[in-house]
Amino acid sequence: MSASKPSPASAPAAEKRVGDNALHPSQKPVHPAEPPPPPRINVFTVTLAAFALAVIASWPAMRGSGRDLDTWGNLSRFLGHFFPPDWSVWRETLRALGETFQIAVLATVFATLLSLPLAALGARTLAPAWLVAPARLLMNAARTVPSLVWALFGVAIVGANPLAGVVALTLYSLGYLGKFFSDAFESVDADVARGLSALGANRAQAFQYGLWPHAKPLIASHVLWMLEYNLRAASIIGYVGAGGLGAQLASYYEYFAWDKVATVLIFILALVTLLDLLGEWVRRRITRSLGVRR
Amino acid sequence: MSRPGGTSGSAAPHLELRGLGLRRGDRWLVRGLDAVIPRGAFVAVVGPSGVGKSSFLSALAGLLAPAEGEIVLRCASGHAHHPAEPALQRRTGVIFQNNLLTPNASVLVNTLAGRLGRHSAWRTLFGFPRADRVAAYRILCDLGLGAQAHRWSCQTSGGEQQRTAIARALLQEPDLYLADEPVSALDAYLTGRVLGLLRQEAREHGRTVLCVLHNAELVERFADLALSFDPADPANWKLREVRR
Repeated sequence: MSASKPSPASAPAAEKRVGDNALHPSQKPVHPAEPPPPPRINVFTVTLAAFALAVIASWPAMRGSGRDLDTWGNLSRFLGHFFPPDWSVWRETLRALGETFQIAVLATVFATLLSLPLAALGARTLAPAWLVAPARLLMNAARTVPSLVWALFGVAIVGANPLAGVVALTLYSLGYLGKFFSDAFESVDADVARGLSALGANRAQAFQYGLWPHAKPLIASHVLWMLEYNLRAASIIGYVGAGGLGAQLASYYEYFAWDKVATVLIFILALVTLLDLLGEWVRRRITRSLGVRR
Repeated sequence: MSRPGGTSGSAAPHLELRGLGLRRGDRWLVRGLDAVIPRGAFVAVVGPSGVGKSSFLSALAGLLAPAEGEIVLRCASGHAHHPAEPALQRRTGVIFQNNLLTPNASVLVNTLAGRLGRHSAWRTLFGFPRADRVAAYRILCDLGLGAQAHRWSCQTSGGEQQRTAIARALLQEPDLYLADEPVSALDAYLTGRVLGLLRQEAREHGRTVLCVLHNAELVERFADLALSFDPADPANWKLREVRR
């Protein structure tokens, strides 16, 4: 026998214990009178307290100008200019809406492709620590710059046309999608990927077969959200010449043609609602198939 | 050293444990474990819950570093290796206690993951070779999962998921099986079928099997050796031959 153990006297006892399911004396359950109370101070209560302090500190922002204004009168007069909407501009609105859609779609696709590798570099579970910080910094920087300022960059680089919008929103979305994807990679259960590595899969295979399928529904959901967001963003960047509805909105705004602005807003609302419904349908299908787990 | 209970296969040592000590946090699970497991042996790992059986298998799989001593795996040519080496992990088939399947991948793809170590990442980027798919499907049919092959693993029952994990290990054709309670969700018929397959792997192909079992009857029926741990004394492990 290969076991070499300096306690031959206890061998028969061991034979008795094999397969014995009885609890060992050290594992016998004890029954205290009541469970110990949970700790009062935890991450949740501390965060809640910090948030309450932040609300108190922010209250001065509610002061306004301090003058006595006819708030409701102003509101009703301003909104009154929007009605009824001037539908005569539907043709150019539809054309500009098409361009807005094109900008949003291309920017979302390019940003998705670029942010996947960037997100992998920014995920603590996938990349070495020295790479995570710079990758996250890059994504934070992209998010810090507002989309309108990115549009100015785009116009400066490629001129005043829809391509400027695509460039601007790609760079802007990179910051958001990169962060979302990084968080998705970090939040999903990495045990399967680790298990596959233990079966001999290399890092790329463990990612593709162990981690990616878990993250895929989250990623699809984020991409849909980004498309919706970009559609709204692409409606405004035309203000600085980056294509889409913005240019039209700017000219109506310039001449106080609020009834025409109303038409444009209704078209945007219709498109965003349509996209939201579509996104919701896709998301539901994805989560429903995942919902029946175990 | 003779191979206990064995009828065929080489009696060469496959797994050598030299003064092995394992700990989780401050607690010692095992200490001073010296053992030589011959190639092609079916070893039942037994002991009460929480005693360190899973940790022991994790150490053999290279997932948990020993606190003291060492684990040596000998390949057929006699060369010594340590479990964490990638080339060796490819030849170690692990059936995890919680299966560790990808929920939104098909039963077939989960099974095929057992062959990942044989191919480059480029080869498996768009799927697996046909021969692998055929072999995987055959094993799934053997385990009664043929009809489930294209269903997502999260849409199958607990027992089916466990069999998928077993199929993945079988498809891998490893030198060493590390099975952590592989039959906990299976009925009597499937339990016999799965342990019979693992025993066949050991007998006919000289593939060593280390299997955590809770049922004394199954230990007596399938195992050549039984390694037991003691929750009160980490140094009081026992390795004994199972007499039939």
